[in-house]
Amino acid sequence: MVSKEVERLLLKVQKPGRYVGGELNEVIKDKKDVDVRFAFCFPDTYEVGMSHLGMKILYGLFNKVPYIWCERVFAPWTDMEELMIEHKIPLYALESGDPISEFDFIGFTLQYELSFSNMLNMLRLGNIPIKSCDRKELKNIVCAGGPCACNPEPIADFVDLFFIGEGEEVDLEVIELYRKCRDEGKSKQEFLQLASHIEGVYVPSLYDVEYNEDGTIKSFTPNCDAPSVIHKRIMPEMDDVYYPENFVVPNIEIVHDRAVQEIFRGCIRGCRFCQAGFIYRPVREKSPEVIDEQCHNLCNNTGYDEVSLSSLSSSDYSQIVPLLERLTAWSKDEKVSISLPSLRVDGFTDEIMNKIKTVRKSGLTFAPEAGSQRMRDVINKNVEESELLKTCATAFEGGWTTVKLYFMIGLPTETYDDVADIANLGQKVVDTYYQCPNKPKGKSVRVTVSASCFVPKPFTPFQWEPQDTRDEFANKQQHVKESITTRKIQFNYHDASTSYLEAVFARGDRKLCKAMELACERGFHFDGWNDCFDLDKWLEIFEECGIDPAFYANRRRSFDEILPWDHIDYGVTKDYLIKECKKAYENTTTLHCRLKCNNCGAAKYGKGVCFEKRKNMV
Amino acid sequence: MKNVRIWFKKDFECRYISHLDLNRCMLRALHKSRIPIWHTEGFNPHPFATFPLPLSLGFRGVNECMDVKLEDDEYSFEEIISKLNDCLPRGIRVFKVTEPVMKAGKIAFANFTLKIGDDRTSSKLICEQINELLFQDSIEIEKRTKKKTLKTVDIKPAVKNYEVTEMFDFAQLDITLSAGSTDNVNPNLFVSALFNKYNVEYDVDITRNELYNSNMEIFR
Repeated sequence: MVSKEVERLLLKVQKPGRYVGGELNEVIKDKKDVDVRFAFCFPDTYEVGMSHLGMKILYGLFNKVPYIWCERVFAPWTDMEELMIEHKIPLYALESGDPISEFDFIGFTLQYELSFSNMLNMLRLGNIPIKSCDRKELKNIVCAGGPCACNPEPIADFVDLFFIGEGEEVDLEVIELYRKCRDEGKSKQEFLQLASHIEGVYVPSLYDVEYNEDGTIKSFTPNCDAPSVIHKRIMPEMDDVYYPENFVVPNIEIVHDRAVQEIFRGCIRGCRFCQAGFIYRPVREKSPEVIDEQCHNLCNNTGYDEVSLSSLSSSDYSQIVPLLERLTAWSKDEKVSISLPSLRVDGFTDEIMNKIKTVRKSGLTFAPEAGSQRMRDVINKNVEESELLKTCATAFEGGWTTVKLYFMIGLPTETYDDVADIANLGQKVVDTYYQCPNKPKGKSVRVTVSASCFVPKPFTPFQWEPQDTRDEFANKQQHVKESITTRKIQFNYHDASTSYLEAVFARGDRKLCKAMELACERGFHFDGWNDCFDLDKWLEIFEECGIDPAFYANRRRSFDEILPWDHIDYGVTKDYLIKECKKAYENTTTLHCRLKCNNCGAAKYGKGVCFEKRKNMV
Repeated sequence: MKNVRIWFKKDFECRYISHLDLNRCMLRALHKSRIPIWHTEGFNPHPFATFPLPLSLGFRGVNECMDVKLEDDEYSFEEIISKLNDCLPRGIRVFKVTEPVMKAGKIAFANFTLKIGDDRTSSKLICEQINELLFQDSIEIEKRTKKKTLKTVDIKPAVKNYEVTEMFDFAQLDITLSAGSTDNVNPNLFVSALFNKYNVEYDVDITRNELYNSNMEIFR
């Protein structure tokens, strides 16, 4: 629903379809019939936000409750933002067209650190005071969840409450509590205090932080009876957890324009750089029957002819072949193609390859993450070079001629030799192609090597590690470039500035809130986009606020330092992370969850892989 | 196998989607509806649909059409209407299915209704401006070519007929312009000419009505 005022602007901006709603399966309710209105905000463009699975799940779940109306809000692109400000049009939700200031909840999903400035900018565009303490009434409750909520401290001053962990239950409990509190005439403060006792809720305003002279944290103290440790919530039984039968189907093309079917949560691997691999533990799978049914429904209800199976590592799904058999039983007749992203190097078997080839031949992407075996052992990637080359050979024999390889630069203990091995590995893949007897006739091979800059993240064994400086990154990138001697390899990399800012935010503390506030005043937005990102402007702000970004990005922490996120519990113990970090220094790997339980702590949830029978013990 | 022409309106939110997006929406709706449409036979089979004359982003269309091939000759047209409407966003409504009488290449003219006006200018004045402009022997306007260079074109010869009506809060221009694959003239060119001549900027709401062949018979 679009107002006359907005319509006047639409023909002056790029892709006006972003700002109008009206898609198939959008949920429209009468606002007189609902008690609680929830503005689900994705702090990026429509095309990015509409591709996000979590939003689709929660949108469906909330709207299934008769008294809640959940609507979608996205960040307007810069051209639209400018016009909205000029014409005094506040940020509105797509379904009703109502300004977000009319909503009970304004909820953000935080998928990447560089969207923080968009979150604040969206509040500003909605004429909502950005600081939690300036919003006094029991309305416009600003809440946030998603992976970046695992270290909520850099945005603690702005968000009233954080959802820690999986949201399916806790979100509804908080909404219900809000409704009750409002009916009883309670204050916002009373509501927040009650909410802080719901497991999976973190109310940052109920805690005081004291700092040492060197800037590290001295103490973290709960007030008003708030819990001293905040435990994440998880959904123990994946087969019972709500999954939408319907997606809102966008009228304009979005980033991932297809149906998405979740197959499991968590990851058995425990790669030491990977935050998702730790915070989503334990691994919990959906059964093939449930996936098949949900997937089929979804395709029927959306009209999509492509469905992608979503998880952190699809080939680790314990029944992947039976699942693909089930799916291909109907997908071929119904002209639906199945795509399998996140394939591991060691998971690309002939059997899987033939199954996905029956429908569509997509590009092949593998992520060895590091060039040398030593480095891959440090990060616990558990992929052997021989496996990678064997997999590539399988792919080449299957008719593929392009392979993408993803790497990281700046991993702990990395040397220049390790970096050069990125190029060497690329070369070996090229050589494998030419040694392949059944390679496609008359075609050349193309290997794309992409290297991103490593950002140490909270809740990983590398959370104490310094990030490489930007100069160091540039030198290493140059070194890879110089080590490549063939034109069959294309090397992609980008400037380390974004990764640097990401590293500052990822492990930041509450002192950063001041910088965030200033950034918002100055209209910062879309830091994740090259069009808008300007590190120098951020560095200026840090300087004005007396913040040294290197303190967050490039400093090695000691194991006994109080980290800004230590009061949050994701199940994996700090002792385990320390143990893993020490093993990394010794180039020692850790077996994955299906081979051996390493007592990370996630077994306390009583479900998932921790309680599976281990068949192939070594 | 039977050729059918599916007629629909494109309005409301769907005014703001491009032709490419419309194409995608339609293919998805056809796929979802399970209507027996002929699919392409390449590596990624998809329903085969063509649009006789694409509609610009922002225009309302009240008589738009799309051609498909039906695999089942007996399939009911009523069924196509109701099934497709269940699968389309509310801004696109199918209202009629026919067997094509004319080929898409026969389209020579299109008729548009332009509502032009704003809160500050009297509709009488705007009517006068439109009339004055259309009375000129030539209406020259710079047009961006496909090679991104500018070239000056005269759109006056493309004007088949027109009528200007003064309404309460806008000026209404009903105009028939050359259309089709060779001499297509977008009414937005006329709007730019108007804005340039009088150095103004009004709100403009454009609806495409009927399409015609070169004898001014309604395209069917």
